[in-house]
Amino acid sequence: MKFVTPSAEELSYLRSDPLLWEQELDVRPLVAESIERAAGKRAGRIYWRSAHDHLYTLELADLGRGRPSMAMVYGMWDRYEPRPPEHEIDGDLIDLCTWVAEVSDTLDPSHLSRVLGHAGIKPSWPAGSVVRSPEERFANLPDFSYPPQYVEIEGLRMAYVTSGDGAPILMLHGEPTWGYLYRKMIAPLAKLGRVVVPDLIGFGRSDKPIAANAYSYRSHARWLRRFIEALDLRQITLVCQDWGGLLGLRVLAAMPDRFTRLVAMNTAIPDGRGLSEGFMRWRRFVMRKSSLDASAVVKMTLSNAKLSDAEAAAYNAPFPSAEYQAGALAFPRLVPIRPDFPGAYDNRVAIERLRTLDLPVLLPWGDADPVLGKLEPELRAIFRNVAPPLTINGAGHFVQEDAGKEIAGHIATWINNNK
Amino acid sequence: MYEKSGWLKEVFPWEQKTIEVNGRTMAYVDEGPADARPVLLLHGNPTWGFLYRDFIDPLVKAGYRAIVPDWIGSGYSDHPRNDAAFSMAHHIADLVSMIDQLGLQGFVIVGQDWGGPQGVGAAMQRLERLDALVLMNTWLFTDYVGKFHQSPLPWTTWHAPLIGQLLMKRFKVLSHGGVSAISRREMSERETRAYHHVYDEPDSDHVVLTWPRTIPLRDGDRGWDDMQMIQRRLPELGKVPTLLLWAPEDNVFPIEYANRLKELLPHAEGPILFDRAAHFLQDDRGADLVAAMIPFLNRAVGASI
Repeated sequence: MKFVTPSAEELSYLRSDPLLWEQELDVRPLVAESIERAAGKRAGRIYWRSAHDHLYTLELADLGRGRPSMAMVYGMWDRYEPRPPEHEIDGDLIDLCTWVAEVSDTLDPSHLSRVLGHAGIKPSWPAGSVVRSPEERFANLPDFSYPPQYVEIEGLRMAYVTSGDGAPILMLHGEPTWGYLYRKMIAPLAKLGRVVVPDLIGFGRSDKPIAANAYSYRSHARWLRRFIEALDLRQITLVCQDWGGLLGLRVLAAMPDRFTRLVAMNTAIPDGRGLSEGFMRWRRFVMRKSSLDASAVVKMTLSNAKLSDAEAAAYNAPFPSAEYQAGALAFPRLVPIRPDFPGAYDNRVAIERLRTLDLPVLLPWGDADPVLGKLEPELRAIFRNVAPPLTINGAGHFVQEDAGKEIAGHIATWINNNK
Repeated sequence: MYEKSGWLKEVFPWEQKTIEVNGRTMAYVDEGPADARPVLLLHGNPTWGFLYRDFIDPLVKAGYRAIVPDWIGSGYSDHPRNDAAFSMAHHIADLVSMIDQLGLQGFVIVGQDWGGPQGVGAAMQRLERLDALVLMNTWLFTDYVGKFHQSPLPWTTWHAPLIGQLLMKRFKVLSHGGVSAISRREMSERETRAYHHVYDEPDSDHVVLTWPRTIPLRDGDRGWDDMQMIQRRLPELGKVPTLLLWAPEDNVFPIEYANRLKELLPHAEGPILFDRAAHFLQDDRGADLVAAMIPFLNRAVGASI
């Protein structure tokens, strides 16, 4: 287990949720002493980040018996978000207990895994907690005949399409769309590299947990990192818009060595300040809703393009009913709207990391976007190596719909100039 | 008194009374005439009075008063969150308090698993009122420990520090899996639920974890001194009619435990052996066990005091 030292500021944004209360840590004194040795303290807290990216703390208490004699384990959650899925906590606590068995001379981690196996304890998504949009809803998609491919991420099937060969060009969609949004850009850019277009968990052909607490800024970023690792994408040109950028920029900061270029369009990495009134209106609107008409959202924001009925149906294909929309309904809520949101802190840390990067950045920006249209300078200020402003006149929030071909052309030229 | 839900009444119809012992509420079944000889039927981990459901009617029909308490932390008794409430001395004091408050005279202790040492431990505080003893798959000594309680698979791993909190309380491996998993007959869904439901609440199964941790394996273990005291005083039971009923196929307390009890209580009758039964022999062979027990009681002490 890798211990971390979270900053006091980060801790101030989290709430601690008691998970285990060991009142009898020294019922076997040798185990208590091993834990003291491994933790490096008899009393006080140690912190670690779990396989699910959750922060936990183990608090030891010395009740005067010459060894740690009580222990509390807390999950440190985003204070404005519900508790994460129980099976994630189960898995993380098993990891903690495996550590206890590893550091103790009198316990054996293989015994723990055998006991768990015998009891049939294998934390995963409970039956019925994940839905998968029916394949037939994706039949006859206009201009999007790429065969879907799948990779399993933490027990969830994540879908993506690819086209072309060479260094990957990773295209990330946002709310409430899916890879289909990039259909006008895939073919032109597939001439320059291997275009990879995933559907985020909860969207497109990817699996959709039905509980709201399955989705968090951190879990999305984690799933995306795992996706990149699973496909072992390197030398990535990242193309992103909307939540594709909120997530893509976080992932870029977390694994910068895998990326060589960045194209960000009408997106942000919000640190809790300066959110537009347009966004706040949209957020309030979605938080009141129990379902979302995805194609209506896309249509409403277009300025140049018009969606045909078949194209509109493609945007609605992933969502046969509201049950499939937990992820789409969660996204606006997950945007850190104030500086004291834990996600805002995470983004401030990420921004500091992004400031140190030298990778070339292109910012094609639709100026008719009431939500994110004015935020180009914010992103521009973060990066050192940004191409001159590239305003896509009259394009709305979904620049890929309004000006996909045009932007693909700009990107191709820019890539060729930044080889 | 607790009003039980309909499904439970169908398998456990007896009214449960309550009594306050040492500041906590203890639930118990009390059937049969108030002036008849009281037979205290004592369960262990992770069960409750439900384990003795096949004993109650036959005992009452034979003229006895059947009293079936749930130990504090189990069944319908209080489930305090404080692990310190579950030392052997606490459990023993709780039963002594009940014996005193109900004014039980000439009582019989019937104990299995923790019902053995805790029942005998309480009776030793009120020896003058103890008339007979029936022991089933239990132990009263520190000088023999079988393989099960020493084995890390699963036993000592199940209740290791911190690990026990996860396995026993979060995953409920014992309270929700312990009884049905080793049943030697087809337990109905309702019976399984009857055992599990008293531990459905989060943080309700502290006693399920503290009991394993109290089993004395070596000097210094919690429970060691209490169990040593019980073993030292066993000769005082020399005149108390005693019967051993045993399930030799039980992995937890195999026949070696009965043999050791016979050495320590040479006057004991039995062991009468019951096959097709595991650790929870009252559940596997309840009717047969009580049928073997009643003639012994009739002969040794009789139903009237």
